[in-house]
Amino acid sequence: MTAATPQAGLDAKPRRNRPYRLAGPSWIIPVLLFLAFFFVIPLGANILRSLQAGQAATNGPLFYYIKLMTDAYYGGVMVETLKVAAISTVLCLIVGYPVAYFMVRFAGRWNAIIVFLLIAPLLTSIIMRTFGWRVLLARRGALTTLLFDWGVIAHPISLADEPFAVYLGLVHVLAPFMILSITAVLQKVDVRLEESARVLGASALGTFFRITLPLSLDGIATGCILVFVLTTGSFLTMLLLGGGKVTTLSLLIYQQFNVAQDTGFAAAMGNLLLFIGLICLALQAKFLRRSGVKS
Amino acid sequence: MTALAPALPVRRRRRVRYGVIALALYVLMFLGFIAAPIVSVVAVSFSTASFIAFPIPGFTLRWYWRILEYRPFVDALIVSGEVAVLSTLFGTLLGVPAALALARSRATAAAIVSNFLLAPVTVPAIVLGFALLYFLSSLSLGISLTALLIAHTVAGIPYIVRTVLSVYRSIPPDLEEAAAILGASRWQTLLHTTLPLVRPGVFAGGLFAILTSLDNLPLSFFFGSANTNTLPVVMLSYMENQFDPSIAAVSTVQMLIAIVVLLIADRVYGIEKLTS
Repeated sequence: MTAATPQAGLDAKPRRNRPYRLAGPSWIIPVLLFLAFFFVIPLGANILRSLQAGQAATNGPLFYYIKLMTDAYYGGVMVETLKVAAISTVLCLIVGYPVAYFMVRFAGRWNAIIVFLLIAPLLTSIIMRTFGWRVLLARRGALTTLLFDWGVIAHPISLADEPFAVYLGLVHVLAPFMILSITAVLQKVDVRLEESARVLGASALGTFFRITLPLSLDGIATGCILVFVLTTGSFLTMLLLGGGKVTTLSLLIYQQFNVAQDTGFAAAMGNLLLFIGLICLALQAKFLRRSGVKS
Repeated sequence: MTALAPALPVRRRRRVRYGVIALALYVLMFLGFIAAPIVSVVAVSFSTASFIAFPIPGFTLRWYWRILEYRPFVDALIVSGEVAVLSTLFGTLLGVPAALALARSRATAAAIVSNFLLAPVTVPAIVLGFALLYFLSSLSLGISLTALLIAHTVAGIPYIVRTVLSVYRSIPPDLEEAAAILGASRWQTLLHTTLPLVRPGVFAGGLFAILTSLDNLPLSFFFGSANTNTLPVVMLSYMENQFDPSIAAVSTVQMLIAIVVLLIADRVYGIEKLTS
């Protein structure tokens, strides 16, 4: 194709080294200015705010951070945040891995349909999906009625407003992200490796745990980090399904903003949340660089 | 070899098949789990009972009329649509040129800038919204449609940049070279060659940005006021006071809108081309 140009020969070599460039560096300037002004400066100001506003002005710049770490209640919220994120990540992995495995190894032409059914819920609002669990778990909701009819529960009681409901809602929203992260990597695992293991006498389970699972670790890592970060950032599920029994950092920011209006404290909590996210991102970058997987 | 070959696969397939059937059943159950809350919300939106009850006692469209009667729902729907479309438009105007400039560069600086443009998506929306509210307030833009638009544009840029970057990288420069050699100016090359080539990327990214914006409660609720409330913000505040099926009806309408947006995208461009 490059040879088709009139003056190939002499020109061809330099052109191959530096391909034709339509856009110059100046094309980047507007978006850089926009993000510098409305993304970097606000987040920077937020850090300053957490060190200077409110009680931080009188009690030292790190007042709010120390309060978050050492206060019994807020320390508990920190632990709760990490606990909820860790549990829902593990749940998504356990629930999602078999689905991902089925999609890649056995689904065949059904794969496209399953992918569609996993992505389709993204067209509905998170409020709808969370409200749906309230509908199912309400005192006379579909699931509650069913469980009562089967005799699993003695009285038709509301199952919402429990930590159980929060995990159900989180897994429902986040499991597709886990599954799609795993299928992306699992697709590249050569089936012949599994077949060789079987031919050489490994059991089906042995093959899975010794060959398939280790080879899909990249997808598991990507999915886990994604789900973990998304969980720490979400508060709607905790707000609508937790009934006040599950308080995480982001829910606390929402409540602080709505009720208390302690801006310095809310800023400090936001920065802590951001910090958790950055650590996860750094972990992911390390993982991906080591294995050279393309995102 | 020839004697063994038929015997081995037959035994293997038989043993594996039960496991596969069990796995298939599990996947079916999982898909049911994914669909259950959405289906039940649609069902409840037609319920004659004003509380949640299953099976629904009767069929009515009353809750859909309630949406039209309750002004905040209608106003918020309009605000949501405006913000989603306009912020995506601004995000496209800012993001596409940058992505075109960055995609072909192999410099380290270009990689750093690309990552920077993708960064807003990794910041929790609740943190971005909070930080932006106080910053924009200091510019006396506080709670306004402009502020809401700025916030959603920041959140939308990564989606557009990401898809345009990947689409443009996969297109060889030959076509644009040909256009330039044949005498097209920069603008002509851009308009007639480059933009048509990257259109799937712009489209897919824009679609993501619109859908995310419509549902971005953590970002929107900081800028909430009577004339800047987006639909999720109004829905949440309604749910905190009342608990009737009109929320189910609004949710169903919102889902239908998203489906219509997708169908239009399909008509204009074709979904297969968007997802590939």
